[in-house]
Amino acid sequence: MDISRRAFIQTTLAGGATLTAFGFDVTPVYAQARTLKIARTSETRSTCPYCSVSCGVIIHTLGDKAKNAVAQVVHVEGDPDHPINRGTLCPKGASLQQDILNDRRLLKPQVRRPGSDRWEDISWDQALDEISRRVKKTRDDTFIERDDRGRVVNRCEGIAFTGGCTDTNEFNFLVVKTMRSLGVCYLENQARV
Amino acid sequence: MRESWDRCIERAQQLANADEAVRPLLAFYGALLGLQKVLAVGLTPNRDGPPTGALAHDIELLRPGIAAFLGSIATGGPELLATQARKLLEGPQKEIDDLLTTCWNRPSDRQFFAKAVLQPYARFLAEAGVMPIDRQLTMAQNRCPFCGGVPQLSILHDAGGPLEGGGRSLLCATCLTTWPFRRVLCAYCGQEDEHKLGYFHSPQYDHLRVDACDTCRHYLKTIDLTRLGVAVPLVDEVAGAALDLWAREQGYEKIELNLVGL
Repeated sequence: MDISRRAFIQTTLAGGATLTAFGFDVTPVYAQARTLKIARTSETRSTCPYCSVSCGVIIHTLGDKAKNAVAQVVHVEGDPDHPINRGTLCPKGASLQQDILNDRRLLKPQVRRPGSDRWEDISWDQALDEISRRVKKTRDDTFIERDDRGRVVNRCEGIAFTGGCTDTNEFNFLVVKTMRSLGVCYLENQARV
Repeated sequence: MRESWDRCIERAQQLANADEAVRPLLAFYGALLGLQKVLAVGLTPNRDGPPTGALAHDIELLRPGIAAFLGSIATGGPELLATQARKLLEGPQKEIDDLLTTCWNRPSDRQFFAKAVLQPYARFLAEAGVMPIDRQLTMAQNRCPFCGGVPQLSILHDAGGPLEGGGRSLLCATCLTTWPFRRVLCAYCGQEDEHKLGYFHSPQYDHLRVDACDTCRHYLKTIDLTRLGVAVPLVDEVAGAALDLWAREQGYEKIELNLVGL
């Protein structure tokens, strides 16, 4: 019995029943299929940004690729095919989804004043003003134009900068340009990948 | 990873009791698994010796069980298969032999009887480590490393803990061997662009999903054992028949039809 793939599902006109290629009546299953709520996810390979081990991860994103739909990360798991971690992740890497979706993420600048026991919200403009003033004051106070032997060094030893592990290449590029222009030489980040 | 025939039958009964819509399919499939088990038992080494891996020789070991197999389908199967079974029973023995030989060399998911009879035979060979010696099939990453069969379904294994991603295996439609297969890779055409691979999931079938490829428009179902460890992939795949109908409506074609024709 050779059945064409085109005849995979046949609808008999007599009874209105839906039959499979081997003649099974799947009318009730067909009705069940009509009620299914189907969601499309995609799996994307990536690399955990947190440390120098560079474990492979698979990011599950929910979305049907419609133009007006915003894709949403629903799960992150270790990549079982990755030669470094073979599917395993440390607790920090396993919480990677929260790096993307986190209702505890700070959405405005905060400051804790000297002697205060709490953080207070401030505006972006105020934060930028305060940071600018302090950077200017610290740089002016600690700037070294010449070293002990009279050589021009133009460095600022009163400021250091450290970047986070999830900083992008573009962000780090701007950080280096900005800090070097200030004369900052204590400059580090945790970008490993 | 092959479940015993008894475990498969038990799971089919369990799922048939749980879902009215697929009960007739699973009742038939459970009975079919019982018939396949009888065929498998008949292959245990006897006075004619163990199977050799050459179907031309081993067909004698299968023959006693085939008549009973066809008789059961003729009385308990759907009309289409029952008619065919009666025709084979009434026809010459050579017709059955030719059918099995043809499908052994060129497996087809459209040949119900050949696939159902050869499955326990190929499984027996795989478990005994007896290589099939009279057939030449393509060997590829998406083909069974033992017999060259195409995948019936895909399985996600529990890797040992909640922090670990599940490894993926494919299950051979012919000998039921499982072999490791990469995630994020189409099991039909090898597409690995994640934008062209879709994974469709419904809350009604928490441990099942449809892995589809927008390049070749083929799909297969995945049984996620990290979500339901007691699932029996071969049987749970049949129980997710509604997903097959849904996928078909979306224009996807299954890589390999199962033994109920979905």
